[in-house]
Amino acid sequence: MKNYLDLVPISAKVHRKQSRMSVICIVLAVFLVTAIFGMADMFIRSQILQTKMESGSFHIGIRDITDEDAALIAKRKGIKATARYGTLNFSGAAEYTLEGKKAIIAGCDEAWVMEMLVDFVVEGNFPQTNTEAMITQGAQEKFGLGIGDRITIKQPDGEKLSYTISGFCAEASKTRSEDASGIFITTDAYRSLYPGVESDKLADYDSMLYVQFTNEFNAQKEIADLKEQYGLSDEQVSENTKLLGLLGQSGNSFMGQIYMAAGVLFVLVLISGIMMIASSLNSNVAQRTEFFGLMRCVGATPKQVMRLVRKEALRWCRFAIPAGIVMGIAVIWVLCAVLRFLSPAYFGQMPVFGFSIPSICAGIIIGVLTVMLAARSPARRAARVSPLAAVSGNANELMPVRRAANTKVFKIDAALGVHHAKASRKNLILMAGSFALSIILFLSFSVTVEFMNHALTPLRPWTSDLSIISPESTCSVDHELMKNLQSAPEVKTAYGRMFAYDLPITVNGAERKADLISYEEKQFEWAEEYLLEGSIGSVINGENTGLMVFKQQNLVQVGDTVVLNVGGQTKEIQIAGILSDCPFNSAPDVETIICSEDTFRQVTGETDYTIIDVQLTRYAGDDDVSAIRQMAGPKYTFADERMKNSNTLGTYYCFWLFVYGFLVLIALITVFNIINSIAMSVSARTKQYGAFRAIGLSTRQLRKMVAAEAAVYTGIGGIIGTIIGLICNKTLFRMLVSFRWGNAWVIPWEELGIILLLILLSMAVAVQGPVKKIQKMSIVDTISAQ
Amino acid sequence: MQILKIQNLCKTYGKGEAKVEALKDVSFSLEKGEFAAVVGESGSGKSTLLNCIGALDNPTSGTILMDGQNLFSMKEEERTIFRRRNIGFIFQSFQLVSELNVEQNIMFPLLLDYRKPDPAAINEILELLGLKERRSHLPSQLSGGQQQRVAIGRALITKPKLILADEPTGNLDSKNSQDVVDLLTQCSRRYQQTILMITHNKNLTASVDRVFGVSDGVLKDLGGTADEKLS
Repeated sequence: MKNYLDLVPISAKVHRKQSRMSVICIVLAVFLVTAIFGMADMFIRSQILQTKMESGSFHIGIRDITDEDAALIAKRKGIKATARYGTLNFSGAAEYTLEGKKAIIAGCDEAWVMEMLVDFVVEGNFPQTNTEAMITQGAQEKFGLGIGDRITIKQPDGEKLSYTISGFCAEASKTRSEDASGIFITTDAYRSLYPGVESDKLADYDSMLYVQFTNEFNAQKEIADLKEQYGLSDEQVSENTKLLGLLGQSGNSFMGQIYMAAGVLFVLVLISGIMMIASSLNSNVAQRTEFFGLMRCVGATPKQVMRLVRKEALRWCRFAIPAGIVMGIAVIWVLCAVLRFLSPAYFGQMPVFGFSIPSICAGIIIGVLTVMLAARSPARRAARVSPLAAVSGNANELMPVRRAANTKVFKIDAALGVHHAKASRKNLILMAGSFALSIILFLSFSVTVEFMNHALTPLRPWTSDLSIISPESTCSVDHELMKNLQSAPEVKTAYGRMFAYDLPITVNGAERKADLISYEEKQFEWAEEYLLEGSIGSVINGENTGLMVFKQQNLVQVGDTVVLNVGGQTKEIQIAGILSDCPFNSAPDVETIICSEDTFRQVTGETDYTIIDVQLTRYAGDDDVSAIRQMAGPKYTFADERMKNSNTLGTYYCFWLFVYGFLVLIALITVFNIINSIAMSVSARTKQYGAFRAIGLSTRQLRKMVAAEAAVYTGIGGIIGTIIGLICNKTLFRMLVSFRWGNAWVIPWEELGIILLLILLSMAVAVQGPVKKIQKMSIVDTISAQ
Repeated sequence: MQILKIQNLCKTYGKGEAKVEALKDVSFSLEKGEFAAVVGESGSGKSTLLNCIGALDNPTSGTILMDGQNLFSMKEEERTIFRRRNIGFIFQSFQLVSELNVEQNIMFPLLLDYRKPDPAAINEILELLGLKERRSHLPSQLSGGQQQRVAIGRALITKPKLILADEPTGNLDSKNSQDVVDLLTQCSRRYQQTILMITHNKNLTASVDRVFGVSDGVLKDLGGTADEKLS
């Protein structure tokens, strides 16, 4: 031993148990910070990946500028890439077709394909001449095309355009679900499709200039500079909101609210970490005041005692911080692995063993800084200990008591427990505070679930992978096809609907129009959850009965009869039930009536479907889809929704995983924190409990005493946590949900119930461990415990 | 009437080479109202003896009968309650409950027993201890001697069959030490209270009825006061 500070490792060895509890607290706090920040970081990274794949990696689009301005902008410092991009027949109104199917023509610079889109070119190259075109992979499969083949596009005026295929590119969800082909040609070739236009304005060719900045984290400044220099209005510049939002660069007001909410959550996580560590150090030092008194007794100055406490705290950090960080990283790895497994298409690129540098830094900084700050006050307290404290031998004197316990309201065991909790105001604040923060954190983060449910529509049970649609929206899809589809092994389920649009109806004396739609059993089953009144069973089994979809101005009641005019003939349908909603939109003044296939056939005389939806088995691949396409033949629109579904699923999984990950993490840390804190508190009073036991305190009474103490912490923490938690919940709800979707806030009873129940259960568990430990110790050992 | 009977009591710590025989075949008994002292050097085994008698520690072998009952044949809960009602403890470091005032500390064993304390009995004890004026004081507001008097009051309140005092004067000056021993003697006489006190201060054994000496775990009955025998 060369220095008095060398006492620290020796003392740590002796007080291993107490040190272990403090170390656990620091580990938990660092773990909380690292894991939450790391998860947030990984979430943002995964979303950036997905956004770049789905909507491109450009930052802004500029409309209404000239080629000259576009060239000048491209040469600016700070601009990584620019590309002109425009489309023809995007909505399908212009009727450009390839082999009779819708063709969307895109005219762009090569940079659009190479720089702005991720992994877009699948085979070959972007067209190098005006007679070349690159087409989407779906069209390649559909029409059996290869590089060098010629394609002919029919224009609305009947004229034909001919291109040589230079390459194939990835499919977009739009082209897949509309059974359309995407044709990419050079800007010059594209502009030649506007024969009367002799302009250098991009807008005249339905085009925009897309810009990617070199430093994406400086996007807002670049945008402001561009606007100023080129006199661009706000309307002329549109942001890639999601990407810029994820990069923290969106000027969008809703994103502003999201940033603020993230800021609030960030601060809450920090405070929780600080509270947990402060509370642990506080009780650790309180527990060893006698030891510090001894130090003072043998000649240590208050300053030396403070140094000792600080060195001790830093020593714990040596193990606790790396441990907390390692645990945090492990959680992040697990989450990333789950993401990659759930949605390999999007998150396959996420690193297997990725590190989130910001979260690791945050963990280290929070750990060291908090420990240093939190050690300050116990260190001061330790330094204030009188040397007399060490020699008096009565450790209880070291926790000053101002008022006697109230033994009139509670029995002695409970009264002492309550008094122990209240004995040190600081300890009570820290303990109750750390419990309260768990509730606040849980309630605050639970808003993100609500946000997720609003921002993302998960796939519904009736969401189809493929749809075979009548191009004219008539009942023209052969019902035999349905039988073939149902027997195909790769098809999980296939179900069709017949539509009769805009039928004149008379109901309760009022004349209206209605869309009549047929369901089969499966669809009726799915509709069950929307049934407001009446019965679906009677529609499935009965004749000429139907379900009405509720509308604000709806006057129809269950039991009413609707008279339909079908091709000059009147047919009657009795309404047997009202549905709150259905998956189809109709014009505001058009009613929706759903009936069985038999009823539909009887009413309309039609036997074929308007649409057949197909849900594929998990193992169905592109070849199976091609086979189904072949089975359906070319006369129907073949909509492949798999990509759109997988986009939705990808985002939903990602959100779900992180949101619930946060909540589970907070819940777990709450449990550990409570168990550890109560154990520390009991451990600090072991000696006192020993004396109580010698006098005659039974184990049951000891349990009651500890439970009463824990109940005070949880009670106060619970009340404060609930009040502040609800305020935070409401504020964040306003920022994340009400601001965008206008929903009114309601008290989240479920979430509140879950966290309070969890805290109560943790408390019940927390009491058992230390009491059992004391019970196992002999009374002599307990009295002489250090 | 025999209150305490100890037969062939042995207590061993550790195993093999580290084995320490703290008590070796100790046998003695105490009659009701007897005030006995156990004297011995530090580490001689006197505290171990007291801990075993008070059922704070388990003996390795031998029997301890308190009023004819074997404490170690009882279950934990039963033993705790027996101890609460029949044995009073006085510790060297007082072990008062810092959160309770003088009066509450004295009635603490009764409260643990969920019994309603008799105000007259409390007053009588407070009077005896000379703490009537300080009944509402917290332990931290008392001197060492006063704190030990409170501990004696706490040991007396249940009218136990036996009071075990472990170096009750160890933390006190000579004046206070003598006062405490006088008080214990007074209690022994007044209430016919059996008391077993451990001390290493032979001067304090002048007023006790019997003195035992412990050396290397072996107990010897020294008969009347230690001073008499030793002198």
